[in-house]
Amino acid sequence: MKTAVYFCSCGDNITERIEFERLKSDLCRDSEIAYVKPAGFLCAAEGKQFLKNELLAERPDRVVIAACSPREYEKAFMQVLAEAGMNPYFLQMVNIREQVAWVTPDPDQAREKACALIRAAARRVALHQPLEKKQLEARTEVIIIGAGPAGLKSALALAQAGRKVVLVEKTPVLGGMPVRYEELFPNMECGPCMLEPVMGEILHGEHAHNIEILTLAEVIDVAGYLGNFTLKIRQKARYVDTVRCIGCSECIAPCPVSVPNEFHNGLGERKAISLAFAGALPNVPFLDSAACLRWKGKDCELCRKACPVEGAVQFGDQEKVLERNAGAIILATGSTLYDCRKLPQLGYGSLSDVYTSLEFERLLASNGPTAGSVLTKAGQAPESLAIVHCVGSLDKRHKPYCSGICCEYAFKFNHLVGSKLPGTKVYHLYKELVAPGKEEFSLYRHAADSADSQFIRYADIDDLQIRSNGDGKMIHYRDADGREDSFHAAMVVLCPAVEPATGSAELGQMMDVATDRFGFFEELHGALDSAQSKVKGVYLAGACQAPMNIQKSISQGMAAAGYILSELREGTRLQVDPVAASVNEAACSGCHVCRFVCPYKAISYTADGRTASVNALLCHGCGTCVAACPSGAINGNHFTNDQILAEMEAILQ
Amino acid sequence: MTRFEPKIVGFLCNWCSYAGADKAGAAQTPYPANFKPIRVMCSGRVDPQFVLQAYEKGADGVMILACHPGDCHYKEGNYRATQRHRMLLRLLEQFGIESERCRFDYVSAGEGEKFVKVVTEMVETVRFLGPLQHTRFSN
Repeated sequence: MKTAVYFCSCGDNITERIEFERLKSDLCRDSEIAYVKPAGFLCAAEGKQFLKNELLAERPDRVVIAACSPREYEKAFMQVLAEAGMNPYFLQMVNIREQVAWVTPDPDQAREKACALIRAAARRVALHQPLEKKQLEARTEVIIIGAGPAGLKSALALAQAGRKVVLVEKTPVLGGMPVRYEELFPNMECGPCMLEPVMGEILHGEHAHNIEILTLAEVIDVAGYLGNFTLKIRQKARYVDTVRCIGCSECIAPCPVSVPNEFHNGLGERKAISLAFAGALPNVPFLDSAACLRWKGKDCELCRKACPVEGAVQFGDQEKVLERNAGAIILATGSTLYDCRKLPQLGYGSLSDVYTSLEFERLLASNGPTAGSVLTKAGQAPESLAIVHCVGSLDKRHKPYCSGICCEYAFKFNHLVGSKLPGTKVYHLYKELVAPGKEEFSLYRHAADSADSQFIRYADIDDLQIRSNGDGKMIHYRDADGREDSFHAAMVVLCPAVEPATGSAELGQMMDVATDRFGFFEELHGALDSAQSKVKGVYLAGACQAPMNIQKSISQGMAAAGYILSELREGTRLQVDPVAASVNEAACSGCHVCRFVCPYKAISYTADGRTASVNALLCHGCGTCVAACPSGAINGNHFTNDQILAEMEAILQ
Repeated sequence: MTRFEPKIVGFLCNWCSYAGADKAGAAQTPYPANFKPIRVMCSGRVDPQFVLQAYEKGADGVMILACHPGDCHYKEGNYRATQRHRMLLRLLEQFGIESERCRFDYVSAGEGEKFVKVVTEMVETVRFLGPLQHTRFSN
């Protein structure tokens, strides 16, 4: 084997401390080194040309370059080797500038250290294997988690651009929160109607074939990176075939079991087989096995008997774990409300007719538990309503931020109550009022100008006390000016801070997507890239990133789709670095140690669990598994045991 | 009598501690030439047998330098390295090798001075201990 050593003087930087001729004569005693040649500035264009000509003329088998840090020019010199027709991995650099000449004042010591390191490199490079960079085409499919407005619009936009999309939704219904609202701020538009065309396109439109909808589904595992993600998705059994079902709802009425309906926030009931609410899409009922009599040992099949379509109701349906590949992921998991029980003075959970804003939305909704009539528990139309703004918001004991949407929907409530129950007195108890935007002032103006509305500003939520008072509530307050008073209200609506949806932390951990101090997914940059997470290939849309309204959620969903269409084009190539681990299958004992230490989930096992294999696309080449393997069955390419030990042994000679 | 010059090898991870050593170089801060670096991509690559073989092949001390906790380029290789180091110390004790001869430390890419400090300390510590007597080690 012919091993060449090139010594870069780096001007005087190296030769000031290390005398070349003496180093050369020391090195030439080593039989493994064919020759040692000096150069001026190897990194300069002329230096690289010199090296290339040398390699073409001398045709060495391996090359050692003693120069500066490999962190600076290793890649450039590998390129020179490649240009000279050599395998670029037949190179080993020795850092005799930063780690010898510049830190070793004594010339003899510097020369000896350089000599030891160059000899070690020569031994090591002799063991280098020819390696090749491979290229793979990036996947262009997109997995979107969450089928609210942001997820739906991004799914549709991507599908229209010809991308395959998998839409993963935890609940049995599409549309997220707005389809549960009767009207939307700021223009009092019908909530379900607004999203229905989008959902129609997604379910049955021209590009529907590009979208796979997985309802009742949650992501349970993620591996990979931009261009190459693999997700495991657990889909619960629906027990109703979404293809066969014709959506007639005949199965629902005969069902003898009723349970609280979570889609009405527990305010109404639903059957064990049910739609989430009237008009829910997809228009396919789901069967709740936790409620159904069949799972309690009874032989009930009333729903199946009522179904006019053979095989649509399937009691034998099973939970499935699906695997899907994609090039990018959009997180659109939305938000929820701060738990009002943490402010017990407001009576939520202990007093009747004290509702969260989401519950009140359902009371107002014609597809809600009361079909849109607002009545107290006693069945009376409330003659007065207290709306408490800023519940848990702008409060460092709870959430220090302003959620930005609560005032707007509070004014919407004011408007809706005014039209449904004219003359109802509405009290707004608030810490701050916000209504930015070009349309948003109008609902505020309506409320402020109404003779039936009264605004009371408080300084601290602890200055409010809500107590039971006959048929209604007595609200005691101290206002921001310190005046204490109280009034009677038949019904109370609390507007709590918006917080990340349940399960966001777990999902973030799974994806390696950081969450901020409030638990929202952290954006790459607050102003420049709020629709991108810090993980390449994982994008953010909607209220999972920050509290936001529907308009902004949808814009962010479209932004995420735009990022994907620009960053992950058809034909994008992924580099597969050969400096990765590989498994010698014959030596693998199947202990799974490597799988647990791999930080990138790059190691999987054969179906029988006996043999490991490394996905070179996912492997980052850290070598942690190589060091962990008790059988020595994993090879760390370019950092093999033999190579490292040869280097070490030579250093210690 | 000439002063004992210990042989120290150090496994430096490419992203933090090797870069920290480069930083010491760029600042031209001298440290003893007894220390010889071996570059690995991650401290998690350091197989405990490398350390044992280093003693066998004549090292008087071995260093494993890693990224600070939470900073590992490969997320958690440095945690594996600390675990293995702890295990190594217990093993070395059984061989009668002083724990000071195997040092694990964190050096970030910016910590040129810390790199010089830990390397210099190691050389002095091992110089004080004297050559490694590995009678129990050899066949």
